[in-house]
Amino acid sequence: MTEPAQLEAGRRPAPPGWFLNPHLQIGLGAVLVTVSELMLKKGASATADTTAVAGWLGIAALASWWTWAGILCYVLSFLSWLHVLRYVPLSIAFPLINAVHVLVPLGALLFLHEPVSLKRWMGISLILIGIVAIMRPAATVEAKL
Amino acid sequence: MTAIGITLAVVCQLLLVVGQLLLKRGMNAVDALPRNAAKIGGNLTLGILCLTLWFFLWLGLLAKWDLSKLFPFEGMDPALLVIGAGVFLKEKLTPATWIGIALISTGIALVSAS
Repeated sequence: MTEPAQLEAGRRPAPPGWFLNPHLQIGLGAVLVTVSELMLKKGASATADTTAVAGWLGIAALASWWTWAGILCYVLSFLSWLHVLRYVPLSIAFPLINAVHVLVPLGALLFLHEPVSLKRWMGISLILIGIVAIMRPAATVEAKL
Repeated sequence: MTAIGITLAVVCQLLLVVGQLLLKRGMNAVDALPRNAAKIGGNLTLGILCLTLWFFLWLGLLAKWDLSKLFPFEGMDPALLVIGAGVFLKEKLTPATWIGIALISTGIALVSAS
């Protein structure tokens, strides 16, 4: 057991209980962000033709329930994220949350029917490999705590 | 995408990165509650403000372009954010982190070029 003072900057021992495990929360957060993004896209698209009164700020999207459901998922993911930030260095947690770059195109393909090209699949694979590269040493640190 | 659209997409990412650094700075101080209450509150409030601006700008961009075309702009985030965490939060950056970021950014560049 290492003393908290000896841990690297930004890291604290994980709290008890599987649900509060910071790495599980990173995964849960990535799923919530993905669901949120897909819902926001639905809301923004549904209101895209209601004139450009609000210009570059997408205020008009608030007229759609999809947008509000997306905001709810986003708030939940935010609470999860604050929890993660308490225990994991940002330079580890943020690259890991990039799993959304894999999940969002997959979700856009499945639910919004946006096309995914071969080049895009290759990019998605590289992102996944990068996440694994960061995750493995991080898991070792976690095991030592 | 137009030049102004690309510029706004970049500004959007900077808001996100600064917001995240502020949130982490606030949460790093949580162990010393209540002594650090003002520091935590200040950092979280500023961080949430940056992220709120980011959110509405993002919604506006989403109304104009496909999600799969816009999302790659967040590809700059891992590199910007990890450098920020090293410089401003004194986090230790390992070779594995750099390799992972290089792969993730290359992947995101590929996705955006497709």
